[in-house]
Formats: sequence, structure tokens, C-alpha cells
Amino acid sequence: MQVQKTSILTTVLSEVLADLAFMFTDDGEFDPPVGERWLDTSISYQGSESGSLRLTCTNTFAAHLTANLLGMESGEETTEQESHDAVKEFMNIVCGQYVTAAFGTEDVFNLSIPEVLELPDTPELEDSEEESPDVALLSVEGQWMQLLHIQSA
Amino acid sequence: MNNDILIVDDSATIRSMMKRTVRMIDLDVGEIYEAANGIEALARLSEHEVAVMLVDINMPTMSGIQLLTRMKQNDKLKDIPIVIASTEGSQKRIDQLHELGVAGYIRKPFQPEQLREVLIPLLGVTQNAGSENIDIDDGSF
Repeated sequence: MQVQKTSILTTVLSEVLADLAFMFTDDGEFDPPVGERWLDTSISYQGSESGSLRLTCTNTFAAHLTANLLGMESGEETTEQESHDAVKEFMNIVCGQYVTAAFGTEDVFNLSIPEVLELPDTPELEDSEEESPDVALLSVEGQWMQLLHIQSA
Repeated sequence: MNNDILIVDDSATIRSMMKRTVRMIDLDVGEIYEAANGIEALARLSEHEVAVMLVDINMPTMSGIQLLTRMKQNDKLKDIPIVIASTEGSQKRIDQLHELGVAGYIRKPFQPEQLREVLIPLLGVTQNAGSENIDIDDGSF
């Protein structure tokens, strides 16, 4: 069951990235960047089950995501507000897809408004699925990110 | 009747994307107005007549369902077709939306082609010349 959750997280994250922003995961060796600015975006769901999802990603990824969503030309810069807005909407879609993939389409789930904050330090990302089964760790165009699922009691 | 559209979504990024997608599918659409929540949407509707609305569910201040309910109680607004564009995947919620009178439902992320299929009958428009083969490019939504 735990491994299945990791699989759902990985699949949902990969599919939404591809379908929404035409971005694809790669098989790079685990090597999170140092000296980057990192964002932490969270959203919670409530229904027959409740919990939350939390995405830890670099600001560089958020800027790429924004540029792809807005169809920006290379060289055009995104603002911080645009990046935060894009990553919040990305998580809204990921969470909507996650609850139906994990719990089916019978029940109604209410999602919170996503929140994003900039982390003061470089986060420690998990690199072992066995130790943290509710974590998906992915590299997307060279940018490492982590999607964490926390189920409420 | 005009072919103006109102997009209601709390994300400026998504409003911008949807606007781009509507233009990309090359239908004969007029003005595209925007609102960040249900309250703003009602304000836009007091200023402009629109042919169709694309509305998100999960928004602060006034959600898409609250907006839909308010509009259905208003004689001037109740007949405006509303397409819900949401991450919602619950069949129960989708059934509830249809009971509330939505004209269409489209789940995010969606392809431009899907949006076009929903809008064509609601706008009563024909596609512009030369648009039969849409270059979807990276226009996924």
C-alpha cells in the first residue's frame, strides 16, 4: 500500500507536468543543487480521507514551469509573483488528480487554496523510497523536486 | 448576441493560459474578460454581457459553486452558459454541477481541442478559416 502511494505520487506528478506544461522527468543521478532558492508549496484535501501534499522545488523549476504555462519566449523573465502563482496552480491540479487516483471518483474532496513559501535554507530531500514511502523524488529537466504526501489521522 | 467570454479563476497564470488557449483554438470569439473570484465575476457581468463563462471551482472569497448558485437565482444571469474548468474528478461533484445547471465541464489539465469541443456549441460559432488543423504545440492546459 505504501509503495503504491509512492507510485501514485510519481505517476500523477509526471503526468500533470507533461500534460500541463510539456515538461518531462529524467533519470539523472540524485544530485540536488546547492545555492538555489527553494520553494515549498502545500495544499490539503478533505473528504472521506484527508491529508496534504507538499512540493519542494527550486525557484528555477518554478520559473521554467511558468514560462511553459504562459508560452513565454526564451530570454523573457518571469516575476516572483508569476512563479508562485504557477506553482500553486500546478499543485492544485496535482492534488485534484491525486485524490481521484488514490481514492477513486465516488467521494467528493474539498481542496484548500494552495500556499507557497520560500525556504530560508536548502532542504534535505529524501533519496530512499524505502525509508519514506509517501515521497516521490523526481528530476525534471535536471531540477530535483520532492512531492510529499501526509495522511491525516 | 456577442461572442464575448468571461474567465473566472483565482490564478492569473491560469487566466492568461486559458485566454491564450481560447485564442489558439481559433474560434470567432470577441472580448475575453477576466475575474479572480465569484464576486469579481458578478461585477464584470454588471458591466458586460458575455456569451459563455469558464469558471474554476476552488477560489477564495466566492467559489465557482457559490457563483453558479447566485447566478441561477438571478433572472438576468441564469441563462448564461457556464463551463466549469476544474481539477475536480469526483463523479458525485460533477453530477451536482449538472444538477445546478452547468453547460459543460472540463477537467484540468486539458487539451485545446477539448476546450474547443465544449465551446463550439455554446458559442454557436464556426471555426475561423484555416483552423482545421490546429498546431497544438505546447498548448496543453
